[in-house]
Amino acid sequence: MAKYLEILKENTKHNIPVHTAIAVILLCFSPLVLGVSNLPYEDTAKVLERYVALLGIILLTPVFLPEQNPDLRDLIRSKYTKITAVYSIRVLEAAVLLAFLLGVYIAVLHYNGCEIHAFRYFGGTLGEMLFMGGLGIFSFALTDNLIAGYMVPVFYYIVAFGSGAKYLKVFYPFSMGIGSYDEKIWLFAGGLVLIAAGIFIRGRK
Amino acid sequence: MFLNLLAKECRQIAKSMIYWLIVGILVIFYFSQLGGMSIAEKPEPGQENYGLAYGGDEKDVMDSTLGYLVSEYMNGKYATYPIGFYKAVTPSEADEKRIGEIIEQTTGLSGGENIADAIEEAQGGAQIVYGSSPVQVKEDLDYEEFKKLMQEVDDMLGGGSNYAADSLESNVSSPKTYEQALEDYNNLIEKDHLTGGYARLFCDYMGILLGILPVFLAVTRGLRDRRSKMQELIACRKASSVSIIASRYAAMLIMLMVPVLLLSCIPLVQCIQAASGTAIRIDYLAFAKYSLGWLLPTTMTAAAVGLVLTELTDTALGVLVQIVWWFLTVFSSMGSMHGGAYGWSFIPRHNTVYNYMGFHENFWELAANRGLYATLSIVLAVFSIFIYSLKRKGRLDIRGKILGNLKRKHKA
Repeated sequence: MAKYLEILKENTKHNIPVHTAIAVILLCFSPLVLGVSNLPYEDTAKVLERYVALLGIILLTPVFLPEQNPDLRDLIRSKYTKITAVYSIRVLEAAVLLAFLLGVYIAVLHYNGCEIHAFRYFGGTLGEMLFMGGLGIFSFALTDNLIAGYMVPVFYYIVAFGSGAKYLKVFYPFSMGIGSYDEKIWLFAGGLVLIAAGIFIRGRK
Repeated sequence: MFLNLLAKECRQIAKSMIYWLIVGILVIFYFSQLGGMSIAEKPEPGQENYGLAYGGDEKDVMDSTLGYLVSEYMNGKYATYPIGFYKAVTPSEADEKRIGEIIEQTTGLSGGENIADAIEEAQGGAQIVYGSSPVQVKEDLDYEEFKKLMQEVDDMLGGGSNYAADSLESNVSSPKTYEQALEDYNNLIEKDHLTGGYARLFCDYMGILLGILPVFLAVTRGLRDRRSKMQELIACRKASSVSIIASRYAAMLIMLMVPVLLLSCIPLVQCIQAASGTAIRIDYLAFAKYSLGWLLPTTMTAAAVGLVLTELTDTALGVLVQIVWWFLTVFSSMGSMHGGAYGWSFIPRHNTVYNYMGFHENFWELAANRGLYATLSIVLAVFSIFIYSLKRKGRLDIRGKILGNLKRKHKA
């Protein structure tokens, strides 16, 4: 357990701060461009699933970044601790951080008088964050390229805006605004599968 | 030297996975958005629906816009869409007072009660309907003066309101009549030679992707030397920094525009087929002209952002910066999708094959817009050359990163 805590500590110290800072900046600046007070249900959902959910790409995608150099990966593989355990701890920490930031943001929206189905919006947005981040993790693992890791979820996001519901079906990310939550369950499950597959693939490279 | 490097860079890009991913995305996006496109047919009298017409004469625009303003003034809150998301703005007391003065200046109405009475009187006591207050515009109000005052209101609200210069026309929309629909169709056939309208629609969709995808290629290319530990080896070669960076940049633009131009052949063929056997005179070069004039500056800018930030930081920061810029641009341009309101938007929108007049009347606005982004991208590329030459000389290259020596020392 102690060694896992040590991994967590090192990750918090060296890898998390920059990406967390970007995520926090995006949230803090949101009132400049978005309405964050007195929003009706559908507009609150829109802000969460179209803006806040993007944090999933920022925090989850770069989990393999510290070992982008193959020499470093070889070095870590030579240790007793499995490299997949290191990745899992990083993903877990990023997911907890996402949940925390989302929770705080929802609390702020609620405080500002926005109409919110707090638990459903929280779960739905977190599911979408995990899916978009999962897409990033999976593409990064598959291609060994961080840029591809960013590119694929961004494309998914663009498609969702185009003819999204028609092509993405149960994986349509912006369903909360129209009062549907079934898609979020699929996104949540899909996100977990993609993250697990990404870690598995990367662990074998 | 330059041409040799250019050919080499093109070959390198052709072998890049990111490049083929971009091509795949462009193809998928084209077929998902424009794949089912059918060529417009001549409207027939008695059709149920001819679509919507935006804009009207100056009086219509003033009536409608001031109707919105009076309603929102009475409500105390103003709807704005700075990046496409709803944002309610409550102005400060001073701003609210100034808006009241503007209403008085444009409609002659002053004071809340006076306005409410006037509206009630005009509506015969009916409830005020949002955005449709029947206000009377002052007869001596000049349109230019009106536009200036509305822009002042928009500035006070922080932008993205119904009063922004590029939103005024959008405040007036009504169902098209048969005559209007026929005029639009005739413009498409006679003035746009059919292909012009479809080329604009093609640019509208492709612009969305080309506002973001080039940055991925530029960042990948910028980081590749570092990943393959070739930086020092290239740095000591005879080729000048100008040749190296300019050839990279030019190769990226060529390789990105090739699939775009190839894709544009599909709607071109559709237009040729539709025009065969008719008297329509097709402009065969329309898609090439529009792609180069409309899409190339967008591609140049997105690639230049990636190029300069990767040279500067040796990280993928360019991707994040471009995502933010793209996000703000795409969402803030939702209100100008019908075309003709190009402003300084990085991704100008014209999501219709019609509205030739909107395009024609605002052509120089669009040309200035495209010129600005082409110039900006060249400035960024020149800056990249400058940074690269400094790094080659070892002046900025501190452990591979400009701020590398400020990193915390740690045991891990």
